[in-house]
Amino acid sequence: MTTPKIVADTSVIKTMRKLRIPQTERNRELSLLVLAFIVNIVMVLLVQLGATGAIDTTLVSLTATLAALVLGLHVCLRYVAPKADPLLLPIVSVLNGIGVAMIYRLDIAEGYTGWDAFSTRQIVWSAIAIIAAITVILVVRNHRVLFRYTYVFGFSAFVLLLLPLIPGLGRRVNGAQVWIGIGDVLTFQPGEVAKIALAIFFAGYLVRTRDSLSLVGRRFLGIQFPRLRDLGPIVVVWALSMGVIVFQRDLGTALLYFGMFTVMIYVATGRLSWVLIGLGLFGGGAAIASQSLTYVNGRFNNWLDAFSQEVYDAQGGSFQLLQGIFGLAHGGLVGTGLGQGRPAITPLAESDYIIASLGEELGLAGLFAILALYLVFVGRGIRVGFMDGDDFGKLLSLGLAFTVALQVFIMVGGVTRVIPLTGLTTPFLAAGGSSLVANWIIVALLLRVSDSAKPARNTEVSA
Amino acid sequence: MSELTLLVLRFGFLILLWFFVLGVVYALRADLFGRGNRKPASASGASAAASPAPAPTPTRPPAAPSSPTAPTAAVNRTRGGFATAANARRLVITQGPREGQEIPLGSGPITIGRSADSSLVFRDDYTSTHHARLLKWNEEWMIQDLGSTNGTFLDGKRIGSPTQVPLHTPIKVGQTVFELRG
Repeated sequence: MTTPKIVADTSVIKTMRKLRIPQTERNRELSLLVLAFIVNIVMVLLVQLGATGAIDTTLVSLTATLAALVLGLHVCLRYVAPKADPLLLPIVSVLNGIGVAMIYRLDIAEGYTGWDAFSTRQIVWSAIAIIAAITVILVVRNHRVLFRYTYVFGFSAFVLLLLPLIPGLGRRVNGAQVWIGIGDVLTFQPGEVAKIALAIFFAGYLVRTRDSLSLVGRRFLGIQFPRLRDLGPIVVVWALSMGVIVFQRDLGTALLYFGMFTVMIYVATGRLSWVLIGLGLFGGGAAIASQSLTYVNGRFNNWLDAFSQEVYDAQGGSFQLLQGIFGLAHGGLVGTGLGQGRPAITPLAESDYIIASLGEELGLAGLFAILALYLVFVGRGIRVGFMDGDDFGKLLSLGLAFTVALQVFIMVGGVTRVIPLTGLTTPFLAAGGSSLVANWIIVALLLRVSDSAKPARNTEVSA
Repeated sequence: MSELTLLVLRFGFLILLWFFVLGVVYALRADLFGRGNRKPASASGASAAASPAPAPTPTRPPAAPSSPTAPTAAVNRTRGGFATAANARRLVITQGPREGQEIPLGSGPITIGRSADSSLVFRDDYTSTHHARLLKWNEEWMIQDLGSTNGTFLDGKRIGSPTQVPLHTPIKVGQTVFELRG
């Protein structure tokens, strides 16, 4: 009979707490969100003015719907995660809005309307993604719960990766077999969600085993190398990545998984030798793949010898890459202005080459603003790892933030010919539903971990 | 739409975009320069450092045991240096992954090991599942090894039987070193 009384007491305490502490973090978030919505709506209006010279209110109202959903997420945060990081949500909203506006601009150029338009689908997927993020924030009240299911997440990541290889379910698009589809209606890239499951698995696994990975081993050239039998996990992940390259023909995803694991093992153990081993394994794997697999070899050729006429004219040659680079050059310092350039002549301008499209119309100044936003986003994610929370949360947030950073580097580097281009999605910007959903879930997890990471040391006895 | 308007709007949007970036960076400054004078929670660490210098370690521990259940327990020596219910109030971890943590000593025994049902859980490869036990015997704290693989070390010496614990003397279990303090 005492239960109702206790419940009443805790609710009183909760109310008192709410009354006493002003939610400074959330208020800061709200003011930045308002600014973010202004940026998004102004960008859509400018696209319409620049490309067609008239204003159409349909897309403006759709953008406003997305803003309302983001506000819904903000209100949820006020109740379930009041101390979460205030910068993540505004940054992500702006990036998502910029992506939608740019895809809309390309649809105007191509003449797509209604459900054929990439922008419509992108808005619907954004709505689904934001709802998914709200669900994660509401369901996962404490991220340590995920630690208990470490191996379940590892196993499900493995299954998700294998799904596209099942005959009848898998879809091959542009050479890479990474999609699954039910009928022709719904297609999804399970690898994007597998990325999150893998990050949870790596974090849980490394928290459990990092001592044996970091303490035993012998020193060579001033660097401590691990025992041969402790190399097991990194070899398994390497083999998994190589499998993705060979069977699914997806270079970027393989690079992403392997890079994420290498960084997380380095952070968990603090041993430089893991990075060297990782780089060595990756270099070896890349060298072998570039020689033996034709599509990887083609990517390397396009990258090294992009400006030769032969490679430019070849089927699957460097035509697309150079169109993107010409677009960037056309944009120059301040861009051609929204709706004024011709980004649509690059194939896949709305997904892989969204950075080139943005660079053409917003110029170097606009592109650097976008990169600065990514920089702050990743910096905030890594900062969560520096706060004094639990080890699992630290590793998880760091792994997730690094995933975003690595994707941005691989895509921006690929489009600007710093590294060979591989097919990943630019987080939040590029057209693609699975990637949007996965990245918004990453945001939700980062918000959750940043809420529970406390500045003070906890001195509890684990019992 | 005239060229000039579009030109103005183009620069206007870039300025708006950078205005947002600056807004974000402005919100960041709180982390760079701190929000007011927030003192870190070093009070417990300071008090631990300020506690008196280590008590003298016993010259030769065991003498005649007063009970057959505790064969080598020291009885006939100066009682000042040993941890008793009266003078030992907390267990301080001085080395290892959980360095700096303090656990208040209660009345009951403290079990140490890798298993989750231990009252003090150390998860490393050198700690056994049920590694050691701190127990109060005649109001004095004793450390007992529970048949661990890698042993329990009191002041650098591996213990074979329940041994009395002096204050401020390091006890090593796996990779963790802790001591009892007043």
